[in-house]
Amino acid sequence: MYGKGLRTLSISTAVAMAVSLGMVFFYAPLEAEQGFLQKIFYVHVPLAIIALCGFVLGGLLAIQHLRTRDPRWDMRSYVVIHMSLIFAVGTLITGSIWAKGSWGHWWVWSEPTLVSFLIIFLLYATYQPLRFAIEDPERQSRYASVFAITAGAFVPTNFIAVRLSTAYLHPRVLGSTSNLPGAMALTFLVSLAALALLFATLCKYELTAKHTRAQLRALRRRLAGETAGATPRPRSAVPSLQHVTTLPARASGGPAL
Amino acid sequence: MLAALSPTGEIPALPLHTAGKYVAGAYVVLFVIVLIYVAIMAIRLSRIERDLGELLSMTEQTPAPSAHGRAGDHDQQRESAPA
Repeated sequence: MYGKGLRTLSISTAVAMAVSLGMVFFYAPLEAEQGFLQKIFYVHVPLAIIALCGFVLGGLLAIQHLRTRDPRWDMRSYVVIHMSLIFAVGTLITGSIWAKGSWGHWWVWSEPTLVSFLIIFLLYATYQPLRFAIEDPERQSRYASVFAITAGAFVPTNFIAVRLSTAYLHPRVLGSTSNLPGAMALTFLVSLAALALLFATLCKYELTAKHTRAQLRALRRRLAGETAGATPRPRSAVPSLQHVTTLPARASGGPAL
Repeated sequence: MLAALSPTGEIPALPLHTAGKYVAGAYVVLFVIVLIYVAIMAIRLSRIERDLGELLSMTEQTPAPSAHGRAGDHDQQRESAPA
């Protein structure tokens, strides 16, 4: 179900990443102030944008889960937040590398953009422990959705608050002060599209893997002659798809599988 | 802090040999993240393959009821058939 279109998406991502890297190093001109160091911008900023959008998307998927009570929405929300967290790690590391080259420091605590992103990252870092702390799958998914919605609403609020702040060193990329030349803007948009495709591909891989595992577990239960929910699942932070994983009904007189 | 870096208040551009290692570092980070993810996916895939193998061996060990049924039918037919 989730594996449909995965091959096309993977190929598109690989092509987009190759084009993006080619444009970054061979097409985009060197920036006057920062020179070659500015090339980090093409990976750091898209990673940050996608991570923040992913957190918001996780909240929207959680709303859908609470509305429909369908565990598949919870699984999507979980996977999107999980992937956004990985992208946020990438943002923090690449940002620190840029800060070291540009400002001479790995981290500047007085900079609101950096600290606010760290707060968001730490907030979402508690998502998995929260899920793991709740044993009952139904309650776990409900509480996790409430968390995802609340934290998802916090992300744009935080972003606007930082924008309103005036004392910052961190360059503004999107806004009235951005004046990227055409070639740089195009390279930035291609990089953003490539990393967005990478995000979508990795999410799809994750969903496919989790769904396949759930189907295998259902198959094992069926072979063992158990009914769904007969054996308690071990404690896990991963959403349970036990009740929605359906295998084709065994025809009477048909083969055992 | 910026003013301390240069008398004009502007950040001087780092020379290529200095900036290169930072740029390489940032792109290597992205590459490593993707590589780690691919490695995790490979481990998961091998686990799924192992589980599938186990399930296959389970199906081979468990006599299928339908197969029994068909064999039983076949035996009955053989018994009822005239010599």
